[in-house]
Amino acid sequence: MFVPESIFRTPFLTAISVAVPWAAAALVVVYRQHLRVIACVAALVSISASAVLLGEAPKGNSLYQALMLLFSCLTFGAMLLLARRDCTVGTIAGILFLLGSTLLAYSSENLLVLFAAWILTVLPFMWPGWFRARTWRPFVGLLVSSCALALAIGLISSATGVVAIDGLRGRSPGSVGAFALLLIAVICRKGILPVQAWVADAAEGGPAIPTALLFNGHFGALLVAKVIVPFFPDMDSLFPILSYLAIGTAVYVAIRALGENSPRRLLSFVALSQSACILSGLESRTAQGIAGAQVHWFVVTVSTAALFGILRLLEVRFGENLTASKHLGLAEHAPRLAVSFAIFGLALVGLPGTLGFCSQDLLIHGMLTSHPLTGLLLPIATAMNAVSIFRLFTRLFLGKHRTGFTVMADALPRERWILAAGILFVVLSGLFPNAIVAY
Amino acid sequence: MSLWQAILAFVVTAPGIVFGTFSLLWLLGWAPTERLLSRITGLTFSASTLGIAALVWRVTSPLSGPAAVTVAFGSWFAVGDYHFPLVLIADRLSLPFLALAAVLSGLIGQFSVTYLHREAGFLRFFLLLHLFAFGSLLAFAAGSFDLLAAGWEIVGITSVLLIGFFQLRPAPVENGLRVFGVYRACDIGLLVGIFAMHHWAGTASFYGSFPVLTGTRAVIVCLLLLLAASGKAAQVPFSGWLPRAMEGPTPSSAIFYGAISIHAGAYLLLRAAPLLARSALASAIVILIGLATAVQGAAAGRVSADAKTSLAYATLTQVGIVFIEIGCGWRWIAVAHILGNATVRTMQFLRAPSMLHDYHQMHSAIGDDVSTTDKQIEDLLLPDRLQLWFYRWAFDRGHLDTILDRWVVDPLIQCSAYLGKLDRTGIRWATVRFRNMAPISFKGRAGQRGG
Repeated sequence: MFVPESIFRTPFLTAISVAVPWAAAALVVVYRQHLRVIACVAALVSISASAVLLGEAPKGNSLYQALMLLFSCLTFGAMLLLARRDCTVGTIAGILFLLGSTLLAYSSENLLVLFAAWILTVLPFMWPGWFRARTWRPFVGLLVSSCALALAIGLISSATGVVAIDGLRGRSPGSVGAFALLLIAVICRKGILPVQAWVADAAEGGPAIPTALLFNGHFGALLVAKVIVPFFPDMDSLFPILSYLAIGTAVYVAIRALGENSPRRLLSFVALSQSACILSGLESRTAQGIAGAQVHWFVVTVSTAALFGILRLLEVRFGENLTASKHLGLAEHAPRLAVSFAIFGLALVGLPGTLGFCSQDLLIHGMLTSHPLTGLLLPIATAMNAVSIFRLFTRLFLGKHRTGFTVMADALPRERWILAAGILFVVLSGLFPNAIVAY
Repeated sequence: MSLWQAILAFVVTAPGIVFGTFSLLWLLGWAPTERLLSRITGLTFSASTLGIAALVWRVTSPLSGPAAVTVAFGSWFAVGDYHFPLVLIADRLSLPFLALAAVLSGLIGQFSVTYLHREAGFLRFFLLLHLFAFGSLLAFAAGSFDLLAAGWEIVGITSVLLIGFFQLRPAPVENGLRVFGVYRACDIGLLVGIFAMHHWAGTASFYGSFPVLTGTRAVIVCLLLLLAASGKAAQVPFSGWLPRAMEGPTPSSAIFYGAISIHAGAYLLLRAAPLLARSALASAIVILIGLATAVQGAAAGRVSADAKTSLAYATLTQVGIVFIEIGCGWRWIAVAHILGNATVRTMQFLRAPSMLHDYHQMHSAIGDDVSTTDKQIEDLLLPDRLQLWFYRWAFDRGHLDTILDRWVVDPLIQCSAYLGKLDRTGIRWATVRFRNMAPISFKGRAGQRGG
């Protein structure tokens, strides 16, 4: 069979991976039937296109293609994990829209496209009645980050006259002002100190799975990896600020998580603490730190999305009055959800045999090499996170013999298979981490 | 790969493969029968034991070549000049520990087939036993501190999950959480110590070139490793977790806190012995910690009201003495001591439930309590007032948990609560101002949940 060669060209595949989810989102809004099927097909198309892109990309320089594949897989998994009651037109369309926009950001080679993708990903979370949280802080956090990025890009383009990311190579892209605005964009988008509070508000007040997908786009880290680190080498003395803030965030929210009893907030604190480590690893500018940050990106993305997904499944089954202040003993009724929660939770904090162990090892070496004193805070924050996530696990799943109800479904087959696939990913890539590190 | 290397690789990985296979199958909806599980467990550990016997013959035979079997799988992962060496080693130090882990895991497995028959968590127990065996064999056969840390962490998490084995009661679960906290806090020492070895000596391997450090650097690394070893071996000031760990089923108490896990800390120090030998200060601290633990363990054990806790403290006392031996540089005495202590305590732990049953029967038969409470050694050595104080001190297990709670746990929780309060105050302050300015309305409040 004749297959035109142009099909395998990068721009075409990128367009497919971005446009198909958007088209599917539009189709869902119009057609309003077979929502999950349409979404899964669209995600599968994105997965296929991203996989081909990854295969075509040169090894060692294919992080963004790998992230495209990861996020497509994540969205596919989210579609399968989505509870039936959450499978509304708005949610499915929003998630597909988010997928297309996130892939656009990963693949963008132009600052304006990056900014457009940035705006498109936050749009559903600012729109009333869509994914917007009921409190104001997420709105403000996302708004400020978008404004800061817009101003930074304005400054950069006025200073250099170019908006293509490749075109910035070898030029000075702007003043301290542009750098500071980019930092503000990263800080606000990622929820770094002192604006860390919106993340927990969004996790608690917004829809669980779409919010987890928003967090796991890691646009703050993307901006650091794509723009800040490569194009601002002369800001050497200012770089550590980001690292100190990230480490401060990791410790601050790790301490907050120790006393938190709302499962969603607690989970968001742990996720934020661990994802802040990505920034500090990228900033460390050591080979181990950067590689560790990139591997950690994968770990945090898969683990936190799965944890939020499982938490939502528990809310759907048990009711939304979950709390970490007392033992709920749900493992008796949902053992597979319990085991999956434990594995993803422990992978997030570096259980050996999972990819988290490899990423933590690299991060700790990278951080301690570049910042010996502040780097010490990294294993301390991780230890506190481990205690918090284990506390949440024990409170939700163990410690009580429930007699009040007799029927509570464990993981359904579609949930079971996708959770098993996630576990296989974190475990197999943990056993053979070079496959991930090489990207 | 030679036959001996293949045997070593098999010995270490076999329990891990069993764990991985059964876990995945269970996750997908299939559960093995008790009979199948017990047979596979028996086969796995019998084969491992035979393999270790062959390795012992190979390493100790005067006709053989080098006195260690090593398997180098290259690097687990490598970035720049840093790589994580994946090397297994069976030498004269690791082999006794490997034998101990394989033989006792097999014995405990066979004992548990009957002991946990028709128990709801039968499969869970055996999966965790295999994972534990894999972790401990990996830690003992590791050719570097990096790989040792991987096995070390696996041993830690399995022991915590087995403490919470009786998951329908809150006490075992809470105790498991406490032990997990202590383990994770102390493991920071291991992680940072390994980094320091890489940073200062360029290696953390004890295969080929051992990290050479002297002076302050040797002291720092030794103290970091000592922190990790003290946490795992329940040495002072971390002894408080040991009685809490007795909430688990008796077979797991036997293998974890009578035999393998509790001695893993001593193994770490034995591996770091060349570093300890260069640091008199660190050696002195090891001796002091061992001495304090031995005294505290002996005292607390004497006032313990239940059999398992008494046995745990008896083990702890001996591990304290093992630390003293290591600090004094008597490595081989320490190894012999560990082997003896581990086997005796395992037997005692496994015998404890039936012994209590026998005692009850004996008391019923003679119609009286056969236990005697004659004069104790404290009566002869201490005046009455001091005895009472000493009793209270021992009964509260040296006040160690109280001290840790007051100085570490409570301040952290209070700090967390304070930061939460700060967040909420910030919300109230900004909400008032922001609501007046915002063109759109937010009717929600913090704590309101989305779908």
